[in-house]
Amino acid sequence: MLAVSNLTVNYGEVQAVDSISIKVKAGELVSITGANGAGKSSMLNAIAGICAVASGKIVFAGEDITGLRAHQIVKKGIVQVPEGRQLFATLTVRENLLAGRYSNSGFLLDKVIPDSLVQRFPALGERLDLLGSSLSGGQAQMLALARGLMNHPEVLLLDEPTLGLAPIAVKEVFDLIAELRDQGLTILVVEQNVRQALAISDYAYVLESGRIVMQGKGGELLNNSRLVESYLGAARAI
Amino acid sequence: MTDFLQNCIDGVMFGSGYALLALGFTLVFGVMKRLNLSFGPSIMLGAYAGTWVYLNFSQNALLIVLVTVITTVAVGIYVERLCFWAVRRDAAIASMVSSFAIWMQLEEVAMHLLPERTYPFPTFFTSTVIDIGPFFVRSEHISMFLLTLVLLALLHLFLFRTRPGLALRAVSDNPLASTYMGINSSNIFFLAFAVVSVLGGLAGFLILSADSQVTPFFGLWATFKGLIAMMLGGMGSLTGAILGGLLLGVVEANAFWYGGPLIRDISAYLLLFIMLIVRPGGLVGQRIVTQQQAAYERV
Ligand SMILES: Nc1ncnc2c1ncn2[C@@H]1O[C@H](COP(=O)(O)OP(=O)(O)OP(=O)(O)O)[C@@H](O)[C@H]1O
Ligand SMILES: [Mg+2]
Repeated sequence: MLAVSNLTVNYGEVQAVDSISIKVKAGELVSITGANGAGKSSMLNAIAGICAVASGKIVFAGEDITGLRAHQIVKKGIVQVPEGRQLFATLTVRENLLAGRYSNSGFLLDKVIPDSLVQRFPALGERLDLLGSSLSGGQAQMLALARGLMNHPEVLLLDEPTLGLAPIAVKEVFDLIAELRDQGLTILVVEQNVRQALAISDYAYVLESGRIVMQGKGGELLNNSRLVESYLGAARAI
Repeated sequence: MTDFLQNCIDGVMFGSGYALLALGFTLVFGVMKRLNLSFGPSIMLGAYAGTWVYLNFSQNALLIVLVTVITTVAVGIYVERLCFWAVRRDAAIASMVSSFAIWMQLEEVAMHLLPERTYPFPTFFTSTVIDIGPFFVRSEHISMFLLTLVLLALLHLFLFRTRPGLALRAVSDNPLASTYMGINSSNIFFLAFAVVSVLGGLAGFLILSADSQVTPFFGLWATFKGLIAMMLGGMGSLTGAILGGLLLGVVEANAFWYGGPLIRDISAYLLLFIMLIVRPGGLVGQRIVTQQQAAYERV
């Protein structure tokens, strides 16, 4: 479904992603872990057309999408839920959701939020006409996820969806991700909660300094989770 | 007291024109976080094109409105491409300075088009005085006021009920998030300029038509009034622009009545001065600033 080969991303002199190749098959949940600064966000942003690709190739559904602009990539069906949520603080919850459907909406806004979405996110359903800024951290993350789903993506890129959440909220997010996968959505998720992420992943990669240092089936890496965590810990200790 | 109230009525009528100008500034500022100083002069050039058609070809009101608005939009787009699109995203000052340079250029063009100082601007409002109790209102001011209300309503519908309107507000709020949503921000910048130019062209037509003359100074005048009204209300706030425009109109009308034309002009600056000391964020801006800060801390 999504195949990244030899992807390199640079910020001036800094090489954030160094010749990475990953594959995400249709309907799979693939996770990426790695220490802070390993290049996880840069990789997702390159796929989503937010940051420039220095070299390498990104193929989606048989089509080369390397170098397309962000809005073109959203139109193709790849949607990213960015790190730090990036809500619209001065728009209402409803408008945040509608913005998520931007690339698929008509000239006149249809302000109705689909029932299925409201049922999946009851806390948002109750707050549709409040400002985005009035939500709690957990609700804000739910809104970011719901907004990403509004466009009915084929591939969902999630960048640290549990960052800064309480344990209960973290579990809620993981349950939701697993449920979405079970319904057939293809998901690439960046996560620092290694064990929980590996437990639901079909396949996983570990990144260090812009390179892949470990990869394997979720279950296999879970048996080796000490080693995986050492990659996170090693960089943290520095 | 009657005088004061009468002045307030006049002020609101005229302030509605200021409100439109302020909206033009605030919309562009909200979306791009940059000032377009040549907004007033673009309108002036549009009005000159309208007058030129009026003097040389036709007295058809609709045609002249169209020429005024289309020229303003064309000039607006020219300014956007040259001073904003072509200038790096993070160089706000460069954009502002180059929009000032374009101002000079636009004035020059206007002078070549119509070299004398003052030209009649077509008036399509019949001028009568309407009595309401102890007060009276001039009918062209009522027309201007009502048309302004219609424009505000249309703008509101555009911003809150359409897809490009939502995109415009989204880009103002959080440009990065908009990119993730698949909103192409350079299209939205362009759109903002186009919308604002339509608004400006119509505002210019209404104001000049009520005034029945146009001079090259209209550009300067419109930029000043619009900027002052915007800052009174709070930069980037739509409600603020409207309130700021009305407040400026009311204060000016009273200053004129009690002090004459010189005092009127000074009163505008004095008002801005006081506002910037008492409430630096403007009437509505302060709330938005604190609200946004709180929001970004949480989000
Ligand atoms: N806009 C930027 N300009 C310059 N360097 C950047 C930029 N963004 C990221 N970097 C650098 O690129 C490297 C990878 O950053 P990236 O954000 O991709 O890491 P990450 O794995 O997502 O980290 P985190 O877990 O903290 O989110 C880091 O060394 C970072 O300093
Ligand atoms: Mg990151």
